[in-house]
Amino acid sequence: MKEKRKTTNAGNGQKTAAGKKGGLSRQAKRDLVAYSFIAPNFIGFAVFTLVPIIFAFALAFMDWDGSNAIRFVGLANFIKLPQDTFFKAAFKNTIIYVIGTVPLTMIASLALAIVLNQKIKARGFFRTVAFFPYVASLVAITAVWGMIFHPSKGPVNYLLLTVFGVPQNELPKWFSGSLVLFTLILFSVWKYMGYYMVIYLAGLQGISAELYEAGSLDGANTWQKFKYITWPQLRSTTFFVVVMLTINCFKVYDIAVMLAGGGDGKLSTSATVLVYYIYQNAFNYWDLGYSSAIAMVLFVLVLIITLIQFRYEKKLES
Amino acid sequence: MSAEKEKKLRSKRRNAVIGKVCIYAILLLITAAMVVPFLWMLSASIKSNREVFLMDPFEWIPKVPKWDNYIKIWTKIPLLKFVQNTVFLTIVVTCLQLLTSSFAAYSFAKLEFKHKNALFLAYIATIAMPWQVYMVPQFIMMRAMGLNDKLLAMICLQAFSAFGVFMMKQFYDGIPIDLCEAARIDGMSEYGIYAKIMLPLSKPALSTLTIFTFVNTWNDYLGPLIYLKTETKKTIQLGLKMFIGQYSAEYGLIMAGSVLSLIPVIIVFLCLQKYFVEGVASTGLKG
Amino acid sequence: MKRKLLSVLLTASMAAALLAGCGGADETPAADSQANAAEEAAEPTMDDVAEPGEEAPAADGEAVTLKWAIWDKDATPYWNALKDAYEAANPNVTIEMTDLGSTDYMTVLATELSGSGSDFDVVTIKDVPGYATLVSKNTLEPLDSYISEAGIDLAQYGGVDKQVTVDGSLYELPFRNDFWVVFYNKDIFDAAGVDYPTNDMTFEEYDALAREVADPAFGAQVYGTHYHTWRSAVQLFGVLDGQHSILDGEYDFFKPYYEMVLGEEDDQICRNYADLSAEGLHYSAAFSGGDVAMMNMGSWYISTLISSLQSGEYDSSLCGNWGMVKYPHAEGVEAGSTLGTITGLAVTSVSDQKDAAFDFVEWVSGEEGAKVMAGTGNFPALMNDEVASIISGLEGFPADDASKEALSVSNLYLEVPYAENVSAINDILDTYHKSIMNREVSIDEGIASMNEEVGKVLGQ
Repeated sequence: MKEKRKTTNAGNGQKTAAGKKGGLSRQAKRDLVAYSFIAPNFIGFAVFTLVPIIFAFALAFMDWDGSNAIRFVGLANFIKLPQDTFFKAAFKNTIIYVIGTVPLTMIASLALAIVLNQKIKARGFFRTVAFFPYVASLVAITAVWGMIFHPSKGPVNYLLLTVFGVPQNELPKWFSGSLVLFTLILFSVWKYMGYYMVIYLAGLQGISAELYEAGSLDGANTWQKFKYITWPQLRSTTFFVVVMLTINCFKVYDIAVMLAGGGDGKLSTSATVLVYYIYQNAFNYWDLGYSSAIAMVLFVLVLIITLIQFRYEKKLES
Repeated sequence: MSAEKEKKLRSKRRNAVIGKVCIYAILLLITAAMVVPFLWMLSASIKSNREVFLMDPFEWIPKVPKWDNYIKIWTKIPLLKFVQNTVFLTIVVTCLQLLTSSFAAYSFAKLEFKHKNALFLAYIATIAMPWQVYMVPQFIMMRAMGLNDKLLAMICLQAFSAFGVFMMKQFYDGIPIDLCEAARIDGMSEYGIYAKIMLPLSKPALSTLTIFTFVNTWNDYLGPLIYLKTETKKTIQLGLKMFIGQYSAEYGLIMAGSVLSLIPVIIVFLCLQKYFVEGVASTGLKG
Repeated sequence: MKRKLLSVLLTASMAAALLAGCGGADETPAADSQANAAEEAAEPTMDDVAEPGEEAPAADGEAVTLKWAIWDKDATPYWNALKDAYEAANPNVTIEMTDLGSTDYMTVLATELSGSGSDFDVVTIKDVPGYATLVSKNTLEPLDSYISEAGIDLAQYGGVDKQVTVDGSLYELPFRNDFWVVFYNKDIFDAAGVDYPTNDMTFEEYDALAREVADPAFGAQVYGTHYHTWRSAVQLFGVLDGQHSILDGEYDFFKPYYEMVLGEEDDQICRNYADLSAEGLHYSAAFSGGDVAMMNMGSWYISTLISSLQSGEYDSSLCGNWGMVKYPHAEGVEAGSTLGTITGLAVTSVSDQKDAAFDFVEWVSGEEGAKVMAGTGNFPALMNDEVASIISGLEGFPADDASKEALSVSNLYLEVPYAENVSAINDILDTYHKSIMNREVSIDEGIASMNEEVGKVLGQ
């Protein structure tokens, strides 16, 4: 289909060059102009995004190490998955991380946006500050967190020790064991709430002031105003925020590696995530087919959850 | 005015004051949580290794600030090279992204043509597709093209995102079509309309996209980790991570490097932020 | 909706087909230029082939350029020393080094070699799992025919070559062979009034010594010993008796050593793993900080210590007075058994000048290379008394006899011997080492998981 269109386009081009007066229909001319706008981006997009995506689907059914001959293995890669302890751990951790991060970030950023939408002093300053963690580079900021939450020397544990009297051997080890996922979630909320706050702010500014005035006349209190005006009016914003958050959370990799990876950047079963395992299988074991199969699981997860959210949104709408 | 009414009003005012105080208290708390890590970073960057974790007494500014951390870091690792690479990448990617996305978006928003919906759907569908899903095949493909360990690979990877097109299209959708029609009647070409009418109007959207692209490119880690292998091609994030691996105990230096790596993004953000909320609002990012 | 989706998919796949064509076209020029380069490079090789066996090609031989993959060029003194010495002996050869960095060296190398764009002739092999990967990807040239042609006696490597032989073929020649010793800080022992460690310690004696010299006083804490976060630093005490190997699939023999180390952690005799891991503390930073009395580490640290002390990078008042002794041993096992790690050179299968490349490999892993290595304070794979005396005679090497004697090794067990699945086994052991040390699981649970997971890999 695409090919056909391309050739007609080329034909059109020749015609234009041959005789300017006629031949080329107005619609074809318009198409040509339109395609010329799209082409620079679309070519790059198709080569570097669409093609690899198709390749990824195919690869999940292959056995390939990147050098020797590629071999079709059907569903073998997927059959291996349920028996793989590390995959199961990565799957579980990723889900926990998403379930923890998405609602927390959403609530935090909405609350912050509502507060910063009030007429208060130094509003611009507060907004900028809240956005700082988002623009700050992960390597730098995780290094700082590593120091602040250092299990035996960091200020957080120092406060717990001196102010709250937690015994020294019971001080939390923030980056290992069962706490590590909690730390990852905390860090993510801290880093990303500013970003989603801006989106909520934009949404809040779209709500007309008349609605609130009407609410005041009816004697609604703050909570009621939120419940009956703000929240319903922000529905589509919330939908967008939750979808983006979910997609972004499933992608988690660098946060985990930098906070929990230690010196060698390797994650144990308590902190491993799907993208980490995709990377390991691809670039350490060179099991590209298996790595792609895990990637497909990631994709299907994201897809399912996005579709559920779409469904829910549609239902609310009608 | 009756006393009762006055009482009510006063209590209302009191409530308002209490509310304000609460809001400020919460805000200050959140601000502290946001800012303290950065202050810690600044403070640690001028400390010696021993002072960094010294809690009793804790000083934000040590008695003898070690400013030379900021000089030493340049010689300990080829930081200048990393900065050059990152600046080059970020600028090229941001420019390409702005140009090609706004170009394509104009077409999607204001022109009618065959297969428009199908093409746009291809963009939309990939937004929900995490890059991590296809990063491996993408790498294999790039390697076959001879792009492994080349900065060009990073440009190809980041310059043509579906997100940029989507965002710009949402913004252009909000600009009344009458403007274009009027210009068309005046005999202006589509390219002219794009350049003379649409572009000047899209400052907020372009600023927003600039911030996103700049921040993402500057701070990207996994992409460069996969593609850039030679030390002279590494970006500042990889370089910083490498430095942390090698000199794990040189906290002062690590923090100095971190501070330096933040400066450019923060400058760009501060310059463009006045358009930011407006940009997000008008690009339909709010949903 | 369905039709729309279908059309998108169709468009996309068409585009893919189209663009795949483009991609192919893109690829050609690169491949061409590479072929050209290869042709150019291939010419002089013919001469080399014409005169095999002869050590150094004559000075009038055409210029050969060998591309060599290495890591950490600036921090490692021997790369340049080897290059210079070889070029001096073979004036027609230029060695071009590419620094791939040490962090993910083997991963990066595998990527380079499995692509079509690689033009390395000689690559350095940093570890055995990476070696196994490269061999399985058919990226290395089997060296057997070259070795027999050149008449190299593999016995000179003391048997380590057998631990990296793959199905009867050898794909690398070792040029560096490090073994683990215990470094100690004499000042700390002096201050505590405790006797120095000796070359003949059992693990019980070693543990007792660490506890004796440690001082858990807050603020001026002195650690009796230090274990780096690598699993080798703890697990591999278990293989020293020669009865066990990490390829076994049964790891119950790790248990006493985990108990010893975790016990030391509990009593603050050594830094705890969670801290080390959180800050990614490098072992060199730990030892040079002057609060660690003993540390088990590879012999590569000798040259780092010497050179960093000389350059002033390390504070000599903190760690300048150091010594080393042999690894402790289990009761009833001969002293001097230790762990080894070899670094080798291999010839790539894509190289167009394999003979010239092998000549370089042979030289570096042979006697002359060994002397160069020893001169920089590193341990060549080809170890003999002469080489040992070069190292112990280096300026900055501890003067006591025990440190000199510590250089003689009776049994050397590779940290990771070759096996087909060694990469996966290695990662499994790493993961559960982390879990045990972080106390996410008990020692027994961790070992049970190792047994189970490795069992799965071996059963495949």
